[in-house]
Amino acid sequence: MKTKLLLVVAASLAGAIFISVEGGPFDALKNALSSGSTPAPSQSQTDTFNAVGQMFKGAAGIGPEEEKKIGDSVALEIVGKYGGLIHDAVVLRRVNLVGRALARYSARPELNWRFGVLNSDTVNAFSAPDGWVFITRGLLATATNDDALAGILGHEIAHVTGRHALKIVEGTTFMSGLAGLAAARSNDVRTVNAQLQQFDLGIGKIASTILENGYSQPVEYEADHFGHDLAKVTGYAGGGLRSVLVLLRQRGGDPKKTFSTHPPLNDRIKRLPDEPATSPQ
Amino acid sequence: MKTNVPATLRIALLLGLLGATSVVAFEAGGFAYTKRVETNALSEPRPLAPAAGKFGFRRKLKVEQVQGSWLRVSDGPVAGWVFAGNLAEAMPPEIKGTDGLPLTASQTTASAAARPLTPEAEAYATRRNLGQARNDLNWLQYQCKTFTAADVDAYLKAQKKGEFQ
Repeated sequence: MKTKLLLVVAASLAGAIFISVEGGPFDALKNALSSGSTPAPSQSQTDTFNAVGQMFKGAAGIGPEEEKKIGDSVALEIVGKYGGLIHDAVVLRRVNLVGRALARYSARPELNWRFGVLNSDTVNAFSAPDGWVFITRGLLATATNDDALAGILGHEIAHVTGRHALKIVEGTTFMSGLAGLAAARSNDVRTVNAQLQQFDLGIGKIASTILENGYSQPVEYEADHFGHDLAKVTGYAGGGLRSVLVLLRQRGGDPKKTFSTHPPLNDRIKRLPDEPATSPQ
Repeated sequence: MKTNVPATLRIALLLGLLGATSVVAFEAGGFAYTKRVETNALSEPRPLAPAAGKFGFRRKLKVEQVQGSWLRVSDGPVAGWVFAGNLAEAMPPEIKGTDGLPLTASQTTASAAARPLTPEAEAYATRRNLGQARNDLNWLQYQCKTFTAADVDAYLKAQKKGEFQ
């Protein structure tokens, strides 16, 4: 008789350890999250960072209000780059019901979860802070059943609950831009402009990680792992995500159009348990 | 004191620790934590059973009994059954605002009502010439508003997912 019950623990629980922690391995992971390939700011931008950033340096973590501002802005970048959203109520309903079923048992069940379909034939999925999740039309076409769709969405939910995008800017001078925007009543035009510039640079850094460079491979594998567990605890087949990845590998095609911001398909498949791809009816 | 452990190794070790906590075993005599503003303690291990009480946010509960996907838990005088997916193995982190002060449960978790884009994001869209993306997101917000918690409940029930497995 089973005396133990396996259950998902969302990445955010462990991930939140990083909040307000400086130095040591935490900084190493934080740097790895951003892939370290964001273009360096110009000297004038650096000066702006230093001058304005010092005003608020040391401010603590990113709370819900700040997360909304960041999440909305990053979502704008995702939708802007990937062809806009498909306005199909039937498709949207399916994606949102599966997504919100998963989100209910995630580590952040009461976020304002929203799931959209990007009008792009590339094969990819993205998420932004505060519960934004997007899947491309190309990837959705491969998710022929809800178990597969749950595997894909579970992975993206794990990025949100793990605060992976927020960790890219947490503890940086970007926070001063946020704090400044919250109280943008200054008559000093230069200060306001500097704060806006910082905000835009911070959003740009997150967007370039999500849309161009991708998170580090360990972070992606972690999202695969937590997404798999979340799908299972919700009642979907544990092999849903793996089945999609295997299908994509069989199809071949242009790697630049297939999960280009994620680790190689073979590596992801190897790390996921070989379980049934569909749940019993 | 600084060590000379390579960054890649430190990352691997850290993620190993994270991974080790990713799947946990709830068992009688152990503890579980609430992750919602309110979690119902049900009188029986089934989704539509009457509530015997409520647990607040970030409460440490004692696991009295495990029955399939359901746990009988207690916190002082309040006891009842909770679906395991509604509990966490570790206490949810305390979230702090930019002022460094902890936020209350209602500030951190009760803000899920549908809303327009933040003014900061609206201004960002203007600065970055993302007007069409802004329109798309506002449309999505509106559409998502029409999917209620009752719709998700009905879906879970029809598909035998979550508590309805």
